[in-house]
Amino acid sequence: MSETAITMPGQARPARPVPRRSWLSEIPDLLTRIVAGVIATAAVGYVVGFTLWTVLISFTDSTLLPEYNFVGFKHYWQLLNSRIWQVAYLNLTIYGLGFILGATGVGLLLAILIDQKIRGENVLRTIYLYPMALSFVVTGTVWAWLLNPTIGVEQFVRGLGWTQFKFGWLVDRDLAIYCVVIAAIWQASGFAMALFLAGLRSLDGDLYKAAAIDGASPARMYLRIMVPAIWPIVVSVLVILLQTAIKTYDLVRALTAGGPGIATTLPTNVVYDYMFQRGLMGAGSAAAVMLLLSLLIVLLPYAIFQRLRRGKGGGHG
Amino acid sequence: MKASLFRTTGLALLAACLAQAPATAEPRLTVISQWSAGSEGAAMDAFGKMVTEKGVKWEHSPVSGFTTDMMNKLRADIIAGRPPAASQLKGPEIKAWSAIGATINLNDVVKATDYEKNISADLAKIHKPKGDWIALPLQIYRVNTLFASKKAMDKIGATELPKTWDEFNALSAKMAAAGITPVAHGGIGWADTMYFELALAGISADAYRKAIMELDDKSLRGPEVLAAFKQLRQLTKWMNPANAGQHWSVFLPALMKGEYGFLMMGGWASGVLKKGNFEEGKDFLCGATPNNTGKPVFDMNADGMIFWDTKNADLLAGQKATAQVAMSKEFAKAFTQINGSIPVRTDIDLSDAGFQDCQRDAAKNLSGAIAANQAIMSLGHNMAQTSPVTAALRDVLTEYVHNDKITPEEAQKRLADAADTVR
Repeated sequence: MSETAITMPGQARPARPVPRRSWLSEIPDLLTRIVAGVIATAAVGYVVGFTLWTVLISFTDSTLLPEYNFVGFKHYWQLLNSRIWQVAYLNLTIYGLGFILGATGVGLLLAILIDQKIRGENVLRTIYLYPMALSFVVTGTVWAWLLNPTIGVEQFVRGLGWTQFKFGWLVDRDLAIYCVVIAAIWQASGFAMALFLAGLRSLDGDLYKAAAIDGASPARMYLRIMVPAIWPIVVSVLVILLQTAIKTYDLVRALTAGGPGIATTLPTNVVYDYMFQRGLMGAGSAAAVMLLLSLLIVLLPYAIFQRLRRGKGGGHG
Repeated sequence: MKASLFRTTGLALLAACLAQAPATAEPRLTVISQWSAGSEGAAMDAFGKMVTEKGVKWEHSPVSGFTTDMMNKLRADIIAGRPPAASQLKGPEIKAWSAIGATINLNDVVKATDYEKNISADLAKIHKPKGDWIALPLQIYRVNTLFASKKAMDKIGATELPKTWDEFNALSAKMAAAGITPVAHGGIGWADTMYFELALAGISADAYRKAIMELDDKSLRGPEVLAAFKQLRQLTKWMNPANAGQHWSVFLPALMKGEYGFLMMGGWASGVLKKGNFEEGKDFLCGATPNNTGKPVFDMNADGMIFWDTKNADLLAGQKATAQVAMSKEFAKAFTQINGSIPVRTDIDLSDAGFQDCQRDAAKNLSGAIAANQAIMSLGHNMAQTSPVTAALRDVLTEYVHNDKITPEEAQKRLADAADTVR
């Protein structure tokens, strides 16, 4: 007893002697570990293994098939200096910022409106969340029709009598990328709304009452009290939307096919183009690795932020 | 339950073995292509029928969708070590792909016929990249085909297609003044590329050959390429900018109604028009795109078939028989009549009622261009360069078409620079 009572520094409770279990009772436990271990190894090996392989290929002059003649950073420099990559990254910046801020803003607004204990909440919530159930290809195709000047909104408004009405963003090389942003916001804001709403509902009702007694206006109440209280959810939404933004491919493919010209091309489109259209596996891998790096640039600070927060012991989950 | 399952599986296995056994004895051909439906699929079926009549079992697996989908299937098959006996492939990609998979040598089969004497030498070269025949062209399309709306032409009192770019520009200006959009163009990357190549080919086929097919730097920075960019800018001013990103076929009805004046598109468009019950001469005019060189120019898009080495005697026999069919005059007629292309052989009589005037004109055009050494390979249709080079040039051209702030001089510099990075 005296031996086991020695506590390690930092240990909360003194360790208690563990009653000896029979080896038979450990079998299910062991089995679980083995099964989970195999699956985890396969999954990690699959992801990490192929990631490493892609990195390796990106340093080779592979074209149609993988080859192992190493050319160093050649593909990286060529890509960074190529116009299509520069255009694609500028587009990703515009699209990423517009989409993330837009979807978060619209989602938050919808959540706050629905939070007003309105009638038909379930129906509305379903309607707002519904676009999330669609694939980006469907979204892209539908918005391509809506935004097309010859058949969509422009034609409709003109048919109503405003014959000079113009809405040709989709075919304007400077504005087409905002069409992609609009379609993506439409798709994802319902998802943001659902998370925000869950957050708002999880707050203690006393918060509202206290704020109301203090005479805070509803807008002030939400902005100063509720939103800060659900801050972890806001961050989660931002991060999820961010990785959606970086990996967006199908939306552009269906909505604009990267055009007019190359005006709405995103880095993912470049990766696909290099890998499968041009048959340049090495350069395509380099593009994919750079895309992965840009994800890490954003996700690492998030991970650090999470760790710090946990270190401070605050927040939920 | 379990027993019956076993029995069915057993029977299925047995049946599979039985089906396999005789197949190894008789000649057969496994082939993949993207020609699955419509006139393309029908032409492929006719091909299969002719091959079957030679006693070869025809096993066609179409991979519909983009060409890339088919290529990815081919890549997987080659990596797995079981390539199809034949697959659709064209242009310089034949050389690129033959470097990663073993092909069979068709020299004996080809040399036994008068085939080589009767086709374009440039085209022959593409199908024997290292001197040996490993692939065969099946059909040719004239990319430099000009379609004019009869209604639009009537409205401005024009009866004949413009012969030169000056004539074209004059007619288009008249159409624009009459409220017609002169050029029907959708604006997908390859189509933008094609409009540039037609402008350059019609200004100087020699410059096209040097600049685009040989990537000669001096020609790329030369006056002809600049002139082509200027002509292309003029063309873009006559397009409807709202059409960006749409497929050319979308505008065919409006073209026939006379809302658009001209469409430049490969010969396959005439097949589509024929299917839509539009008549040449009554609804539209068809001929070569404007040409300032004075001699016939033919911008070629030729689909071919490459033959992979599968190390199987039955497939090898099937490949030889199929190659013989593909080189025959009967095949040339049957295949092209169905899909609206023209025969690879220049010694085919196209006076049959099954051919359209447009096809006859293209065939005449081809013979003339071969004689004048002005038969060139299409860039937009992956005939002039391998796909990495084509794509690098395409990026410049498609951006130019959709951005009128880029000057012809700037575009020419970008094109030459793009060629530098991929040469």
